[in-house]
Amino acid sequence: MEILSNLAMGLQVSLQPFNLLAAVAGIVLGVIVGVLPGLGGANGCAILIPVTFVMPPVSAVILLSCLYWGALYGGAICSILFNIPGEPWAVAVTFDGYPLAKKGRAGLALCLSFFAHSVGALFGVVILTFFAPVIAAFALRFGPPETFGVMMVTFSSFVGLVGRSPMKTVVATALGFTMAAVGIDIISGELRLTFGSTSLMGGFSFIVAVIGLFGIGEIFLTVEEGLKIEGFKANVRLADIADTFRAMVRYPRNVVQSALVGCWMGVMPGGATPASFMAYGFAKAGAGKEQEEFGQGHVAGVLSPEAAAHGAGTSALLPMITLGIPGSPTAAVILGGLMIWGLQPGPMLFRDHPDFVWGLIGSTWIGNILGLVVVVAFAPLFASVLRVPFPILMPLLIFICAMGAYAVNNRMIDVWYMLLFGVIGYFFKKLDYTMAPMLLALVLGNLAESSMRQALIMSEGSVWVFFRPPIALILMCLAILIGFWPLIRAVRDRMRRPLRAAPRA
Amino acid sequence: MSMRAADLAVAVIILAIGVVVGFDAIRLGYGWAMEGPRAGFFPFILALLIVGGSLFTIWQAIQRKGVARANKPLTPPEAIKPILTVLIPAVLMLLFTEIVGLYVAAIVYLTGYIKWVGDFRWGTALLIGVLVPVAFYIVFDKIFLIPMPQGMFGARLGF
Repeated sequence: MEILSNLAMGLQVSLQPFNLLAAVAGIVLGVIVGVLPGLGGANGCAILIPVTFVMPPVSAVILLSCLYWGALYGGAICSILFNIPGEPWAVAVTFDGYPLAKKGRAGLALCLSFFAHSVGALFGVVILTFFAPVIAAFALRFGPPETFGVMMVTFSSFVGLVGRSPMKTVVATALGFTMAAVGIDIISGELRLTFGSTSLMGGFSFIVAVIGLFGIGEIFLTVEEGLKIEGFKANVRLADIADTFRAMVRYPRNVVQSALVGCWMGVMPGGATPASFMAYGFAKAGAGKEQEEFGQGHVAGVLSPEAAAHGAGTSALLPMITLGIPGSPTAAVILGGLMIWGLQPGPMLFRDHPDFVWGLIGSTWIGNILGLVVVVAFAPLFASVLRVPFPILMPLLIFICAMGAYAVNNRMIDVWYMLLFGVIGYFFKKLDYTMAPMLLALVLGNLAESSMRQALIMSEGSVWVFFRPPIALILMCLAILIGFWPLIRAVRDRMRRPLRAAPRA
Repeated sequence: MSMRAADLAVAVIILAIGVVVGFDAIRLGYGWAMEGPRAGFFPFILALLIVGGSLFTIWQAIQRKGVARANKPLTPPEAIKPILTVLIPAVLMLLFTEIVGLYVAAIVYLTGYIKWVGDFRWGTALLIGVLVPVAFYIVFDKIFLIPMPQGMFGARLGF
């Protein structure tokens, strides 16, 4: 019951006029960045962070989180209408969404996607509302070894579950941590990895990295693919909404299963992108006789990845507000914002700033409902953003990115770093280095390092400190199992192969 | 540049970074001091991971010699020009920003890009190229009080 009264308080906070305005602004901007290829939730939030300096933290987090919901909704619009994913998490929806639009049912495809999103959001926000306080209360007892254990689970799940090349994920993560270590060591006060350069003393800002890797890098990739905008015009009609409900009633298992997969991947820092692919895979595998229709505009093929993507996006806030570990790149940016606004992310947040936490949770409810209304009503309008000719859009994007990168620390060198990160992002994307863990490592670097060092100080140098407390032991075992999963799988496959080959020989 | 060559080149660069990080960690001391692990302790572990990981990547890339996917070009030849038409003007804009500040540079950059790369009429180019930076200037500099780079002469221009 305490949760419900807290939720009521949160809803009240998020319904205050200024916060409601922030929510609407966030949603609209979010859908726009979601629609535009090359500008996503993560760097949309990153560019807006300087603007939030002038707001109270609750309004700031509402603005950024609503931008995230908007981007989740918006990503699907250009996937379905133009067959160009506006966001990485909207790739899976092109498989069936675009064919459906090609058959003349673009309105239905959009509608399916939007309502699937809201179901995913519902699952995510219910989990957020009812589990977050419990996990936060539990996590209050975490000391440095447990915190380090949670970090290990986070990063090993990227290595084991997400990237195409586990070793490259390890390298990318270590590079992220290295960038975080540049500058003044917070414990000893020594200068590290600066090599006498004053511009390196300030370290690397993760916001700049986000804008470069996800913004500029994406622009290069978009240009390379040659943006040909030939899309369908679509109005969402009432008949489409009715058909959507019919489809959901017909495939309830797909919707629920996908939303749950999404929530799981969001909590387990996989993020929305792998969640959408996994859910699509599950839906197709479980379709039985209808499997053939997947890829040709099957309604469940639209519902599943979308429900999963939004479930993952929403539930990615859960580890962020309870443990201080973001479950997706966008959540990482919001977490970075928290630190800038002077809030210490983690379990203490629930105790010390309940209005902030519950305001965020309340706005997640409100924002997702608002988002649904906005996209259903104005989808064609948002799609028209894509009809802005690319030679006008592209320099505007670069200009806005440059402003965002400069405003973080008022340093011109950051704008150059942004461009450099853009080039790095291009190469990393091409060569299968996963960027999400690199970014997370850059955000969490100090926390990971200090928890590790504090734990070792507690134990006077014994590594067993990470394996003796029961919670830490469980976390470390989980981390090792997940992290070495690709290796375990490879060994298992190798052991099976001779068995299968044997009868033939 | 083929996919494999790019893979090798990037891995070698990362390897070099790892080695540099490792040396700095050794300079800082990666062992145990009176108060606990020294400043180089964590970077030393990172350096080991980076060096190990990139050596593995290099080894893998060498093994992939002759694999069809590895010989595909990193950037399709027809895409190099479009990418450079994004990168080079952006670099020029930043260089120009260092001299006259971001807003003036943006006016030149946007107008120039829309006119010459986009091949639009002067009217369109000037309308967008001037209006957008001016609007951002009013919103950010005047309303939100967020300063933007002024460059060497920007202050004198009144920006």
